[in-house]
Formats: sequence, structure tokens, C-alpha cells
Amino acid sequence: MNLILKKDHLKHLLNAWRQDYEVYAPQSLQNFTHFLPLQDGFELAFDKAHNTRIPPKALFLPTSEALLKFTRFGGYEEVPSETAPRLIFGIHPCDAHAMTMLDTVFEQERYTDPLWKARREATVVVGLGCDEPCKTGFCTTVGSGPFNHAGLDAILTDLGEIFLVEILTDKGEYLFTQLETASEDQSMQASEVQQAAKASMPIAFETEGLKQKLDQNFASPYWEEVSRSCLGCGVCTFLCPTCFCFDIVDEAQRGERVRNWDTCMFRTYSLEASGHNPRPSRVERTRQRLSHKYSYWLDQINQIGCTGCGRCVRYCPVGLDIRAMLRKAHQLPSEVLHA
Amino acid sequence: MPNEGRSPYLPIPMHVLHAYYESTDNSLKTLELSFDDPQDAREFFAAFNPGQFCLLSVIGKGESALGVASAAWEGDFVRFTAQKLGSVTTALHALKPGDPIGMRGPLGNGFPLEEWKGKNLVIIGGGCAFSTLYALTKHLHHPSNRGDYGKLTVIYGTRTSGLCMYKQDIAAWHQRDDMEVHQAIDVPEQDWLHHVGYVPDVVKEVRPSPVNSVAVVCGPPIMTKFTLPALVELGFPPETIFTSLEKRMKCGIGKCGRCNLGPKYICKDGPVFSLAELNALPADL
Repeated sequence: MNLILKKDHLKHLLNAWRQDYEVYAPQSLQNFTHFLPLQDGFELAFDKAHNTRIPPKALFLPTSEALLKFTRFGGYEEVPSETAPRLIFGIHPCDAHAMTMLDTVFEQERYTDPLWKARREATVVVGLGCDEPCKTGFCTTVGSGPFNHAGLDAILTDLGEIFLVEILTDKGEYLFTQLETASEDQSMQASEVQQAAKASMPIAFETEGLKQKLDQNFASPYWEEVSRSCLGCGVCTFLCPTCFCFDIVDEAQRGERVRNWDTCMFRTYSLEASGHNPRPSRVERTRQRLSHKYSYWLDQINQIGCTGCGRCVRYCPVGLDIRAMLRKAHQLPSEVLHA
Repeated sequence: MPNEGRSPYLPIPMHVLHAYYESTDNSLKTLELSFDDPQDAREFFAAFNPGQFCLLSVIGKGESALGVASAAWEGDFVRFTAQKLGSVTTALHALKPGDPIGMRGPLGNGFPLEEWKGKNLVIIGGGCAFSTLYALTKHLHHPSNRGDYGKLTVIYGTRTSGLCMYKQDIAAWHQRDDMEVHQAIDVPEQDWLHHVGYVPDVVKEVRPSPVNSVAVVCGPPIMTKFTLPALVELGFPPETIFTSLEKRMKCGIGKCGRCNLGPKYICKDGPVFSLAELNALPADL
């Protein structure tokens, strides 16, 4: 069942939700949009053509957070994992989809990450579909899409004066009890907007057989070529919604064991105490980044580990474009003879 | 050990029972740790399998991944041997009996001991990587386990005789009639009665039979690199050659991302892999 949310009613609804949830929505801060908690007098910043700079994974896996607190006399205790109810409003489908992939890492059967899990369970996610998909995005190429439902409790389609609300889960249904039902015409109109958005996105590269190309060309000079202009700054991984690597360090003065986001693009990431480094240069590190997303994730969960959000393309300081890198990868020979 | 309700990042509280140098140059130190809570000990040993590792935790310094060097039957303690290299292992070397320490584990898969039943075992180690092979050998020595396996051959090489670990035990192994021990050092020393040479060459010299056998190799990357082909040459099929891998680790439970070898995480899917498995993975070590 689809519902109608009048745009001039949105602020009222968000404020009503604030009674029960901590509500996060995109707001402007220092030239970029971010998912920030709504305060009195908030101004939303729906930049339809762009995602927030930092993906909302940061609300589930903070850039830095304590895992343990040290107590006196060499002891330590767990950091409690309770989280108050939260609502994220206006998340784009690529970012919500990415979260379902990270669930497979943090909520594995054998080892569940309690901090991640508590936050996921305490959060309702309302998506805003992309009727004007961003130019750097390529979600339709990698099995996601501008109106993909994965990871969302409800999704909105912009129809001018109104949003059409599609309820996707019970959690989502609970949020929108007061709204009127959409007419068949309105639902049809939304469906057309969604189809048009999808159709407007060109296929950025061929994914069929791409994994095999990457696997078979592990030792190819291709990696040297595509990593040549890389500065190793790591922004592509830092702003990636499916990247999840972290470091664990003891902050002795703060009395905490902390996990911080980390990146396979840094030399120290894989540097061993002996001095040996399996990925000593940006060549191996670039190979790891691309292979992880376009080969290893496929082995693990049979999905490409990228939702095409386009942040790595948009924010790379030297203009390295993963789409071009992968188009080039597709030109590689299929079977490389091993020496 | 699954983390039902408990943070997988929370170390088990332990104390140092014994701490002693393992090598004459003091670069290797063995720590035997006891559990503060007997319930933790029961849970640990219910899950433990030789070949697994733990993350030792010095509060304020960090964690370090080390292979378990003891068998469950030895008692309610866990043994590790740490090479002093970084800040955590330096802190580990400073620990004295009675000091508190945290431990997470057992982690990883360990050796596939069920699969190996009825087979001859060829155990090949080099340097301080011999620790988990020591745990394996100790495990096999227990009367209730020994009968499950055939001939036992141990080949253990170190750079010098002083770097050889677990010296007393290994000296005693030479007297046992249920196993064959070959020790090696890289360069000749006075009064050394065993092999001189690198481990791959010693393996070629000893020529263990591949018939109904499995080989387990743990050593520095360079040793492993040359020992695996030597075993293949002797006729060991890749499915019967096993090795234990190492990479930098943080979480130990397949989340922090850093120890991946293709789609596999050494911490979670390993550290023990067969050569057949490794051949299907990228050479990213």
C-alpha cells in the first residue's frame, strides 16, 4: 500500500518523530551535506544530485569508537552497546543497500559485533529515491538502483508537491500511520518517475565476466598502469559505503581501546612487525581495493561489493575513476599463462 | 568460540603463571597463562584445537596474535611463545609471573585432526613458527590420541641451536620410539649432532613417504615457499600438504578486513589451509 506525504507536512512529521526517535537527516555543514541529528529550527538539505559526503555507515560504524574502557589496576570492561531508537530520513538507496552488505560482515553467525547490531536494530531507515541520479553514480550497473529497496523500511518518490511513500517493512508501516492512501494514478506516476530515473543511467561498464578478468590478471601490469596516478590518500575507501576495515588501538591516556576506520590503501595497513609487507606499494593496494569489491565479495555473498554511489569517483583528488579502471579491466586477456 | 551475548572484543582475564626465555639470545619468551575464572577455562578448552591462535592483550599497549603452543591435556593453562618485535611483544616480554593479561580466543580453525586420523604425519617447522606444531605434537603424544595416527615424523630447523625452542622436550623426543625427529640448523656449530642446512633441503634429505601421509608446514614465508614444492616433488598431493598462515591482524574474527587472502580471512577461515586451497587463492602474502 502506498501513501501520500505532502511536502509542507514533512517538517511537522519529522518533529513528531523526534518525540520517539533521534532523527537524522541530511543537513548542510561546511559546504557539504551530512546526516546530522535534527535540532529545533532545522533546515533540511536534500541535494538530490549528490549523496552526503560521508556515507551513513558512519552512524553504525563510527569513524572512531571505544570497544573497551580500562579500569584501575590493569582491568578493562566492555562498552555497553544499547542505543536509543533512531530514524534516518532521506538515505539514498545505494547507501541503504550497502548497509545490508555490511550486515553480512558484522552480524555473522559465529561472531556478531554487538555495537553494530544494537545500532541496526534500534534504527528505522526511510529512503529517498533518486529521481535525478547523480552523474558519478552507477548503481544500475552494479545490481543496485536509484529506487532499490534493500535495507530500507520505507522509500519516498518525489512527485513535485508530494512524496509517494512505499512501505517496505513493519518498522516503516509504524511510522506513517496518519497518512492518506495514494491513488492509483499517483502510484502509476511514481512508477514512471522510477523507471525514467533508471533509464537515464547508462551502463558504466560490463560486469559479466569482470570477476574472472580480475582474478586471472592478478599478476598483470594492468595494476601498475591503473594505480600510477594514485596518491594513496585513501579517500575512496574512507567515503565508500561498503568499506568497513578498521584498526584497533589502545589510547592509553584516554583509557580506552578504540577502533578507528582504516584503509587498505595505506602502507601500514598490512605492514607486519617483521618488516614484511604483502602489499608494499600502491600497485598491490589498488589491486586489493578493486578485487575486494569486484571479486572477493562475489565469492563471499555473490554480490558485487559496490553499490555505485560514485563517491570514490567524485572525491578522488587525482580524478581516478573506478568506472574507467573497470572498463579497462574488461579489455584484459581472459587466460594469462603462468610462468 | 562463538560470542553469545559477550563482546568478541572483550579479552578473557588471565594471569601469567610462568614466563621464561626460550632462546639463548632472549628474543623468544614463553608465557604460560592461567585463567582467572575456571568457567572461562572450561569454555576455552571445550573449543580449543591445536593450530588455533589467540590475541594476547596488554592493556594500554594493544593486542598481538600468537599461536597456542600447548595441548589441552597439559593442564588448565595456555602457552605462547612471543618473539620480541613490536610494542606489544616488547610489553609481553616484560611480564612477570602474577601479572594480569587479557586473551581472546581460541581463534581460527586449527588443524583438521579428524580428517588426519589413520594417517602418517610429517610435521615440518622453522623458527618460532614451530609453536603450533609443538602444540600439535604434544596433542598427538597423549596416549588417548597417539593410536589414532600412524607414523610421526618431525623436522624442525632454526637458524642456530640457541634459537631452537622447547629444547628439553625436543631432546626427549629423540628418545621416543613412536616418532622420528630431525633437527637442523642453518650453519654448522660445534657439537651439533643433527642436520645442518635449510629446512627444504633437510626435507629432501629425509624424504618422508607420501603414502597415506599428510605434511604440515609452519615457518617463515621463505621456508614455506621452498618447502611446499619440495613436498610436491616427493609425491605429496596438494590436498595432503597443510600450512598455517600469518598476516597482520587486529580483530581476529573476520571483521577488520586486514588479513584477507582473496575472499578468505586468515583469522576466521584459516590460519590452516591446504596447499590445494592455497593454489586456488591469489598469491597475496
